[in-house]
Amino acid sequence: MKKQSKNVKNKLKTSGGDSRNYFRPQTKEGLMQILGDYEDELTVIAGGTDLLVEHFDQLYKIDNWLDLNWISEFKEIKIYDDKVEIGSMVTHERLYKLDKIKELFPVLQQAAADVGSPQIRSRGTIGGNIVTSSPAGDLLPPLLVYDAKLKILSQEGERVVDANEFFTGPKQNVLEKGEIVEKVILPLRDEKYKGAWVKVGKRKALVISSISLALNLVFDEDNMIKESRICVGSAAPTPLRIKKAEEMLLNKKLSKIKIDQVAQIVADEISPIDDIRGTAKYRRQVAFNITNSALDEVINQ
Amino acid sequence: MKITLTVNGQKREVDVKPHTRLLDLLREDLGLTGTKEGCGKGECGACTVIMNNKVVASCLVLAPQADGAEIQTVEGLGGKEKLHPIQQSFIETGAVQCGFCIPGMIMSSKKLLDDNINPTKEEIKRGLSGNICRCTGYIKIIDAVEEASRKMKSGGEG
Repeated sequence: MKKQSKNVKNKLKTSGGDSRNYFRPQTKEGLMQILGDYEDELTVIAGGTDLLVEHFDQLYKIDNWLDLNWISEFKEIKIYDDKVEIGSMVTHERLYKLDKIKELFPVLQQAAADVGSPQIRSRGTIGGNIVTSSPAGDLLPPLLVYDAKLKILSQEGERVVDANEFFTGPKQNVLEKGEIVEKVILPLRDEKYKGAWVKVGKRKALVISSISLALNLVFDEDNMIKESRICVGSAAPTPLRIKKAEEMLLNKKLSKIKIDQVAQIVADEISPIDDIRGTAKYRRQVAFNITNSALDEVINQ
Repeated sequence: MKITLTVNGQKREVDVKPHTRLLDLLREDLGLTGTKEGCGKGECGACTVIMNNKVVASCLVLAPQADGAEIQTVEGLGGKEKLHPIQQSFIETGAVQCGFCIPGMIMSSKKLLDDNINPTKEEIKRGLSGNICRCTGYIKIIDAVEEASRKMKSGGEG
């Protein structure tokens, strides 16, 4: 069975030598030490599903790799009474296969299931998705509708940033040199909540979204909406909360929502661009449609 | 830097650079040219291998990231004298046209069937959603996975 590989000797043709440019700390302490020694020269790699594509396209040169894949602490998911902590190196595959995530954060679970392909989901991570900060990052709208917080480490210490304030532009965020996202903190609610996720792209698989929408509604004891979150992806420089539409839903029962009015506000509030994945006009129309279907879905849950 | 990995059940030690791709390690250093390079961007699935029981695009894995890993490539499934039921089924159903995508298709099918010996058509489509066939022979490829599922259920694991 393994005959063919046995016949081939190690050839050492294209590779060999050179061992100094790849760092793989296994603990937080080790990570801090490397950050201290090499801060300015490091490129951090998580799943590599975006970074390596750009690197091999030679969009930029990477001299020193800092690989977070070996820090087992960053791969942990911890469930507490009042929150769930997801390590930044948790893959999309684990997120969407975990029953607990499906039960507690269905919008995030569905978005993780929609990322790329099995090959991308097995490597790509939640932390990578966050730090890449693409307006089309599939996990970002769900994180915003669940009021996620990000725990960030550096040599100076730790800080916690609201996901709502993390993204500042296309592929831009508040992270400074030498800072690493350690984990995502998702608060757990006692109240009932319902949500929906819609992703629209040119194909079903391996597609960067043309537009996406995450929705989460929290209800009080009388089934009135007491908190609402609507976030659209790929329709502005960052994932965008549509606060005007959120407000329209407050203190209403689901049956009293004027779906078309809410959808129109979402379509009006986004600031989409024309690109290879769709025109601005198309995105506004689809924003209307997917707001409609997301609200429909929540009503029918 | 030196890394050690297990490829198709055999321990291999290879000297690599940090930016060597797992794909090149397999093809160039170990001579396992069954794994193909298509797009080199993780979009086509031609370079799919199984690493630590997960399907990965070997063009998007750095060789040092595979240090200590367990890798299965198409060469590990079976050879001319004894084909794996998945390989046999691809031949029998005529799922192979130009053949370039097939090693990746077969590795994704292997992972799919290892996890779920009895997949529905939808589950097969989802399992193979990261693999592109530009001859567009998808229907027969799905037939092949269904046939492989039948063969493997009746005990013919290669």
